Amino acid sequence: MLTRLILRRLALGLLTLWLVSLLVFAATLALPGDAAQAILGREATPERLAALRDQLHLDEPVVTQYLKWLGGILTGDLGNSAATQQPVSELLSDRVGNSLFLVVVSAVVAVPLSIFVGVWTAMRRDRAPDHIVSTGSLILASLPEFVIGIALILLFATEVFHAFPAVSLLGPGEKAWDDPKVVVLPAATLVLAVVPYISRIMRGSMVEVLESEYVTMATLKGLPRRTVIWRHAVPNAIVPAIQVTALQLAYLAGGVVVVEFVFSYPGIGAALVEAVGNRDMPVVQTVTMLAAGIYVGLNILADVATILVTPKLRTAAR
Amino acid sequence: MTDQTVDSALDLALDQPVALVEAAPARGRFALVRDALRLGRTRVGLAIVALIVLIALVGPLVAPHSPTEFVGIPNSPPGGEAAFGTDALGRDVLSRFLHGGITVLWLSAAATLLGMVVGTVVGLVAAYSRNWLDDVLMRGNDVLLAFPQIIFVLLAVSALGPKLWLIVLTVGLTHAPRVARVIRGAALEVVERDFVKSAEVVGEERWRIVFAEVLPNVTSPLLVELGLRMTYSIGLVAGISFLGFGLQPPSADWGLMINENRLSITVQPWAVLLPVIAIGLLTIGTNLVTDGLSRALAGIDRKADS
Amino acid sequence: MVWLDEELTRRQVIRAGAAGGLALGAGGALAGCFGGDDDSANNGAPAPQAQPGDFRPGGTLRIGATGGGAEDTVDGQKPTSDPDIMRTWQLFEPLAVRNAAFTKLEMVLAESLEAEKGKADTWTVRLKPDLEFHNGKTVTADDVIFSLQRILDPKDPKVGAASIGYVDAKGLKKMDARTVRIPLKFANSSFPEDLGQYFNNIVPTDFDPKNPVGTGAFKYKSLKPGEQSTFVRFPNYWRKGEPYVDELVIIDFTEPTAKVNALVGGQVEAINNVPFSQVSSLQGNGNLKVVISETGSWQPFTMRVDADPFKDNRVRQAMRLLVDRDQMVQQVLSGQGRIANDLYAPYDDCYAKDLPQRKQDLEQAKSLLKQAGQSDLRVELVTGDIFRGVVEAAQVFAEQAKGAGVEVKVRKVDTGTFYGDNYLSWPFAQDFWATRTYLTQVAQGSLPDSPFNETHWDDKEFQSLIRQARGELDEDKRCELLKEAQKLEYDKGGYIIPYFSNSVDAHSSKIGGIQEAKSGFTLGNYQLRSVGFLK
Repeated sequence: MLTRLILRRLALGLLTLWLVSLLVFAATLALPGDAAQAILGREATPERLAALRDQLHLDEPVVTQYLKWLGGILTGDLGNSAATQQPVSELLSDRVGNSLFLVVVSAVVAVPLSIFVGVWTAMRRDRAPDHIVSTGSLILASLPEFVIGIALILLFATEVFHAFPAVSLLGPGEKAWDDPKVVVLPAATLVLAVVPYISRIMRGSMVEVLESEYVTMATLKGLPRRTVIWRHAVPNAIVPAIQVTALQLAYLAGGVVVVEFVFSYPGIGAALVEAVGNRDMPVVQTVTMLAAGIYVGLNILADVATILVTPKLRTAAR
Repeated sequence: MTDQTVDSALDLALDQPVALVEAAPARGRFALVRDALRLGRTRVGLAIVALIVLIALVGPLVAPHSPTEFVGIPNSPPGGEAAFGTDALGRDVLSRFLHGGITVLWLSAAATLLGMVVGTVVGLVAAYSRNWLDDVLMRGNDVLLAFPQIIFVLLAVSALGPKLWLIVLTVGLTHAPRVARVIRGAALEVVERDFVKSAEVVGEERWRIVFAEVLPNVTSPLLVELGLRMTYSIGLVAGISFLGFGLQPPSADWGLMINENRLSITVQPWAVLLPVIAIGLLTIGTNLVTDGLSRALAGIDRKADS
Repeated sequence: MVWLDEELTRRQVIRAGAAGGLALGAGGALAGCFGGDDDSANNGAPAPQAQPGDFRPGGTLRIGATGGGAEDTVDGQKPTSDPDIMRTWQLFEPLAVRNAAFTKLEMVLAESLEAEKGKADTWTVRLKPDLEFHNGKTVTADDVIFSLQRILDPKDPKVGAASIGYVDAKGLKKMDARTVRIPLKFANSSFPEDLGQYFNNIVPTDFDPKNPVGTGAFKYKSLKPGEQSTFVRFPNYWRKGEPYVDELVIIDFTEPTAKVNALVGGQVEAINNVPFSQVSSLQGNGNLKVVISETGSWQPFTMRVDADPFKDNRVRQAMRLLVDRDQMVQQVLSGQGRIANDLYAPYDDCYAKDLPQRKQDLEQAKSLLKQAGQSDLRVELVTGDIFRGVVEAAQVFAEQAKGAGVEVKVRKVDTGTFYGDNYLSWPFAQDFWATRTYLTQVAQGSLPDSPFNETHWDDKEFQSLIRQARGELDEDKRCELLKEAQKLEYDKGGYIIPYFSNSVDAHSSKIGGIQEAKSGFTLGNYQLRSVGFLK
């Protein structure tokens, strides 16, 4: 039954992705006038127009257009960028790596930090440190990413300290991990954007666990407090945090767009902004599908993880 | 960040409605607002929001210069004619700042309103129908939820170009499913109540039941959701402008100001700093209010429980 | 005769030819006109430069540029972005090209380029002897014919096709191993100028764009589109001693700020197109040198002379009187430019410099608009991020127009839309153009069959003057015709040309040899062969 529950979620996820693909495809239909002409603009030589029409299958019925487009996405044949004529896959491959690096670095910092902050404040519940952190995270959570990013630039790159580059400049052929300095401020922005959410839920869940009989028992048994907290309480409190963590990581798929633009970080988010400016639909559609895929994928993962670790759900499924 | 977000987040992920509120119509419509106003954070939040709204509304009247007039050489430092210096084109930073708030406010308000209305209707209908319609609506929700909000807006902009109505429409649309989930969750429980059942027995029309009986009982979560969505709307609308797809030159607009002047941030930080601070304060303000409401709501919950 | 090569003849010879009138015939006159007179040559001479003796040979020179992308190419006849153009100048050479000072057309691969029988409809090009391609092959007449035909290929016209489309490609004839006869479809004394442009490069008959072979000072090594390209010294380059460096790397940056940071951080030795707002801070840096060049590049407002309300010439005149050009230079260019007079091609010897400088005159503008029945004129100005300063200029124009009660609504569209269906038919928009001589520019944008006639300028009198001038090989007579043509554009044309913008390069003080370039081609006509590390 458990397998069925998981399979059901997978099926729902796939259904969602399919519907998403319809919507993303519809964006080409919404282009005013001749789609190829609208995309190419001044570069619309007859050959290029013909090539793009061919690539988008514009001369065929809409359904065929869609099926061929979807087939291309599924087989990794993403077509050519309308602005640059380069295959989209080639255009984005390095950038995907850079964006993933940024997201992974942010997650690796943010998740343990959030758990720590959550536990730490839960143990000081309703005392000054708790209130300070709570107010601080409320404020941080309010701020749009670009506000955080620009504040970090002013603070650490231009006005006060000159510790990190304001612009994530990568040398030719360099990847973000070759020059980790460039990732510091963008990653810090994302970390500051997600930590409040995860730590908040971690705190709430930790407070509940700390009040539970189970923990009281352990304390009464005379186990050292450190052991009680980290061995017994935290592992139990972490379950609800899984969901939020996954959601926040999924959220990063959107957050990178603005953050990469702020720092001119060479990832897919910055590529998306550029592509939107150029009406480069093949690139826009690819990045959009990618983001949606990550979003849905992470949600499924989170669901599965939650189902697996939640005893109640396991029983219910049975 | 509020408990609300977290709840709706969980709800979204688990696809299991979480009843948010034990609605208590007897307590009166404004109880929540009254409770919230007792909290310091709500008042601070309101004060901040009022300040920024005041700047945005009155600013154009008190600005020393026209927002498009040239008062000096580009990127000149504060002093003389321009209290905060000039921007990349030599216009008065202060005057552009004072003129630039109103668009952010009305665009985000319009988007929020749209998202709230659509989301509430969808949520209520889904909760009340509880049949295939519910499934269809929720599936539609999932599709919109699969896009990070900003990416959905950018997808639309790439197809139709940067237009203000499109930004209001798409930001509003991406709010709708998020609102719908919360409202559906709250309403699911209300529709099971006796007064709804009796209304059905009396033969009241369905739309009347939904809007006259169910809706008034979910106003509290609705209010919290409103605050939350407003906060996100401001971030999104200003962010889109910042990316260059919102207001277009020579408009004075906070998001656009940041975009126009960020390349000269080392030479003239004020042209970026003023709008950044204003947008930051505004979102902090709306979120403080939301948090106050949400805490007051939790208080109601506690009372209802006991 | 003559488009003699500078090395063989030097300026004096040309001057002698021109002054003498002379047995050289029509060609001599041409040399005078296109070659520029002595004065302008002197004026255009660059400031004292590092001499070859100052350089230590070798080293890797890294240049930062912006504007490239995934479409980057090393096809010498298809450059579009700035890094493309920069690469093209290193790998390839045309038959002739305007020098960096823009004072004269300099022979490059050609030894001479002359009109036959005093008529401008057939030309003969003679190659320098013993020119060598990177693969060791000698440059011959066949390569010239192949190159021109490749540019004009109707199935895949290259960048240069728009400039020399009137060449009768099928009629090209090899006279001997170094000589080609080029028939034109109509007489055009401007042919050497049209041909002598950086994109009309000579490539070998077996040209393969994937492994580009040219005659330039550097050989191709690698290209990573949107990132960087690498070149190595061509040891058999015909200009002896050059280039100085062993390796050249051109790096694409996505943003001007990133480029500036890279220079300051020592990741590149030189950059071009420095953002104007950064000029003063770079000038204050002791490790750097800033090279500011006046250019003839212009970014006009374009009014369609056949569309309302600009159909009425009084409206066009009024619009031109709205502009405070000094303020425009100050606000838009941070002072990095000089005012213009609604005319282009300022470095042409026939430039109509006697026409009075147009100044802002709001009263006159109002009265003209009133006469035209357009007292409450409201127009939409379409702009976009098509060139540095263009969007800003639109905003400044709108502000200045208010002074005469004219409401200009600036409509910024994305570049895709700007160059979309409506490109070349926006009633009121903007564009950007490089430094050119007058007739070359006219061919591009001011005739009914010009590829980019954005103002729809279609004036019979003007066309007749241009036709006569093209057929006229006598310099003075031609200048008279061209000045008349310019007067027509000045009085009735659709361009508002507020300024010519500077181009600004910056480089590390470790290197030398980067000259000013009025041509608008940065880094001294991208002449990296004469750049070296100082001893």
